[in-house]
Amino acid sequence: MSEVGKRESFTIPIGPQHPALKEPEHFLISVDGEIVTDAVVRLGYAHRGIEKAVESRTWVQSLYMLERICGICSHIHAMAYCLGVEQLAGVEVPPRAQAIRVLVAELERIHSHLLWFGVSAHEAGFDTLFMYTWRDREKVMDLLEGFSGNRVNYSVNVLGGVKFDIDDAQAIAIREAVSFLEERTHHYLDVVTKDTMFLQRTRGIGVMTRSQAEVLGTVGPTARASNVYREIRVEAPYAAYDKYPVKIILDNRGDLEARFVVRLTELFESYRIILEILETLPDGDLTTRIPRRIKAGETVSRVEAPRGELFYFIKSNGSDTPERIRARTPTICNMMSVMKLLVGHQLADVPMILAGIDPCFSCNDRMVALNRGRNKEQLLTWEALRQYGIDYYKRRSD
Amino acid sequence: MKFGTMLGDLTISLFSKPSTERYPFERSETPERLRGLLIWHPEKCIGCGLCAKDCPAGALDVIVLDKESKKYQLRYYPDRCIFCGQCVYSCRQGCLEMSNEKWELAALDRSAFEIIYGECLENE
Repeated sequence: MSEVGKRESFTIPIGPQHPALKEPEHFLISVDGEIVTDAVVRLGYAHRGIEKAVESRTWVQSLYMLERICGICSHIHAMAYCLGVEQLAGVEVPPRAQAIRVLVAELERIHSHLLWFGVSAHEAGFDTLFMYTWRDREKVMDLLEGFSGNRVNYSVNVLGGVKFDIDDAQAIAIREAVSFLEERTHHYLDVVTKDTMFLQRTRGIGVMTRSQAEVLGTVGPTARASNVYREIRVEAPYAAYDKYPVKIILDNRGDLEARFVVRLTELFESYRIILEILETLPDGDLTTRIPRRIKAGETVSRVEAPRGELFYFIKSNGSDTPERIRARTPTICNMMSVMKLLVGHQLADVPMILAGIDPCFSCNDRMVALNRGRNKEQLLTWEALRQYGIDYYKRRSD
Repeated sequence: MKFGTMLGDLTISLFSKPSTERYPFERSETPERLRGLLIWHPEKCIGCGLCAKDCPAGALDVIVLDKESKKYQLRYYPDRCIFCGQCVYSCRQGCLEMSNEKWELAALDRSAFEIIYGECLENE
């Protein structure tokens, strides 16, 4: 027992298996009473070695492997990869295909934001809202299933275009669903900004100033809620976004409420773009031919995923398999901001602040080299790495 | 007023059927483009093997029985298949399609996960 009056700091381990979030990640949270004094995250539990795996697959096969990095934003991963490879091959994709890519990307953004909205409402203890948002999300899921044949991992993209065309019946279904969702989103925006109980969990919680957001390197809606002008669709329009310009949504409050408002307001932009594309869908082919061997060279491809900037580095050596593909997903950029923001808040706010960045851990978990300040390079040969693995598991079993 | 609405909702909920689907007794209609089991139409197949080459999951093998009389078989593993539809897209002859009806593919026996299309051709 500690002496009376002397405060003792506790460290609370959360995860990798925990009831709060659906994905495995380990957090070590030091608390003084109820107040968080330090937070450490350990990533990597869902590392699957996808980047290495694509090196032994053809360009076509890699597409489906990379699509499976994330289950929620699968289309945007495939799209980023396709745009990069098409750029390397010097192939011009037909405008109709580009418009359909953008259409599906926006549908996916709606589904992703509604999913996140439900999950964060659940974290806040507002399960009714969770049920309603997920019911509405089914509308988008049905649209995506009707369009592509699958609820997740739509496989709409192929190298050089898209697989599926949009017909009149689908256009009508999309218009109907969008007008329904638009009405619902107005209602949700009302709930998020007016419900007193909900505001107690969001207003003034996890405040991140603009300079903090810039220093911590946040991306996507998390950054935009802190008034950082960062949106790839606006700054470097890709696919058909130059024809369908997006209005950037900013908020200068930087707290959790701002993150809710920014994401929900973004939905209106998505609805507008979808309707605009349906009105002015260009005619023409869906695909163009692309060689099986991609010219040697390297390129980067940046797209705006629902969670923020998604970055792909693609390197080809002229063969039919990629030499190196590197994906940087938005969650890893935003994760450090959570660790900073937690400090000073109540333990009960931890899940809410974490949910505020819309984390996706399976996206997040890829190889990261940390510079531990020793400035020492460490290079392992394949044999040494193998031996390290054997020794590591031997030590663990002892 | 609000209490009245609640009572109304309560009465409706008491006498209405569950909104969830009573699967397997009732099945909702599948979308036309649903990607289910792969179906092979042998008539047009030229045995190019592009489907097997592009398959990201290694779920397809084209077996050449007799190249001259154009007799081929397609070995298909539905358990490996990720239902991406790349083979259907890659096939220039249009001999592959994905069924939107056959999607209940669970089985207790492994033999259900190896389908050899065109076995009857061999016996001819």
